[in-house]
Amino acid sequence: MARSKGNLNRVVGALSQAGRVLTGRQLAGRGVTVYPDDVFLVSYPRSGNTWTRFLLGNLISQKDPVTFSNLESRIPEIYFNPDRELRALPRPRMLKSHECFQPQYPHVIYIVRDPRDVAVSFYHHNVKARNIPDHYPMTSFVPRFIAGEFDRKFGSWRDNVLSWLSVRGDSPNFMMLRYEEMKRNTAGSLLRVVEFLERCSFRKIDSSPDALRRAVELSSPERMRALEKQEAANWVLTKSTRSDKPFVRTAKAGGWKSQLAPESVDMIESAWGELMQGLGYELSSRKATPLEAVSQQEIPS
Amino acid sequence: MPERVRTAMDKALGRTPAGRGLTVFPNDIFLVSYFRSGSTWSRFLFGNLIHKQAVTFTNMKRLVPIIYELPDRKLRGLPRILKSHECFDPRYPRVIYIVRDPRDVAVSFYYYNLKVRVIPDGYPMDEFVERWVAANVVGYADRVGCWEDHVLSWVRLREGKPGFRLVRYEDLLADPVKELTALASLLHIEATQERIERAVQLSSAGHMQSLEKSQSQDWIATKGTRKDIPFVREAKAGGWKKKLPAASVRLIEQAWGRTMKELGYELVTEAKTERELVRS
Repeated sequence: MARSKGNLNRVVGALSQAGRVLTGRQLAGRGVTVYPDDVFLVSYPRSGNTWTRFLLGNLISQKDPVTFSNLESRIPEIYFNPDRELRALPRPRMLKSHECFQPQYPHVIYIVRDPRDVAVSFYHHNVKARNIPDHYPMTSFVPRFIAGEFDRKFGSWRDNVLSWLSVRGDSPNFMMLRYEEMKRNTAGSLLRVVEFLERCSFRKIDSSPDALRRAVELSSPERMRALEKQEAANWVLTKSTRSDKPFVRTAKAGGWKSQLAPESVDMIESAWGELMQGLGYELSSRKATPLEAVSQQEIPS
Repeated sequence: MPERVRTAMDKALGRTPAGRGLTVFPNDIFLVSYFRSGSTWSRFLFGNLIHKQAVTFTNMKRLVPIIYELPDRKLRGLPRILKSHECFDPRYPRVIYIVRDPRDVAVSFYYYNLKVRVIPDGYPMDEFVERWVAANVVGYADRVGCWEDHVLSWVRLREGKPGFRLVRYEDLLADPVKELTALASLLHIEATQERIERAVQLSSAGHMQSLEKSQSQDWIATKGTRKDIPFVREAKAGGWKKKLPAASVRLIEQAWGRTMKELGYELVTEAKTERELVRS
């Protein structure tokens, strides 16, 4: 039974792919056409990528505020949009991706977030996407999250982060943003991004204090939540997910302290402690590794 | 038939080569490397180790498949020691990564691209190397990144982790029996000394060269390519010392010197004097 259902799914998948090819609507994904002036906004899922898309979209075209309905034609993501449509966008383009290290991406802004917060957010996201049922124990979710089970092609949080930082960390065409720093000083982080974009290929972006303030306001969690209420049924990322669970959640840093069981925290910290410390995420585990014993190997220079 | 219709039919019938869309299973083993780094040789070695039938260029696609030739559907039923040239893929559960001195890779890749007519006869090697270092040679190769991107993406992510083994082409060449014995035990392949020695013999450069002569028109990688340049070339280490222009050696070492040293490849370009380091 399970086998025949698997076969059926495969056939349906093959036919729908064929249909997309015939109509020229193949989703870009890993096969996305890359231009030398492209800038990729990359992160592991649930690390603030959509917020960053709002912020940058609102800053770059200040007359036309970002909504979920126009987001995919402004700073589109590569998984739900056909390559043909992405190729037709004005250049330089900015594209969202969750890939592990991709050598052909010419300029990359990589967003990293505390994996303990990512775990909590990703848990709720997977409930929303119906990958796990309501009331699925968080303590069962966390080891599966560590093993990178939910979006295998993106790797685990560690694989994703380390793949970019260890190969591109010191490249002038790469910049890292910490989600927590963006929360703490949004305008300052945006300013760094503007400098990077102008150095890449973007024309002058108005980054006056007024412009920055306005972009931050137009991208506030409150506004994004209100927009989500009106537009979730039409946005590619949410339209087939549960409407009783929000995509824009608490939008805070440190929520894990009240949401994660100590055993889950321990589990994450013993799996990725070195890398977390290298990124400035303080460990809370009682049995934290003494600093002098920490190998520098996992820490990108 | 228009290209789009053909592609659509291939997708509907599951005929497109697997490539990055490969379905990965937990027990899969991948032989991964950058191009021209001994990966075809390793297909012969492992194929001859695990199969009774001796590997040839024509049966290799079923005995030790490459992910770029057959569709995913067909690969599901074949032995799952697979060859791949992909940059880091987080899904690969067990990986033998072969690395080779990039100066030798440069020379070998130059002749390979002459063979497949990407560059014409007489194309200057130093110009080729400039393009190669910038990953600007030919689409399928540029896609996986430059040599250093490729190597670092695997080594930084997987070195020291269970299920990963880094092998230097030069070590494999110096003592194939010893290296293959170590790799076999790592993969839990039971192999007697005799079996290992047989595999090494059946995969020797001389044997592969004579097979290539009779089979090159039946093998996907050589079919239709120039016959006057062989696919199995010298199969040696250090050939760059004679073949590679000094400027190219310098260029490669400047671009990737740190990674080369880390992998045990000695640099020959003299360190710059402090005076030269000051940019005027």
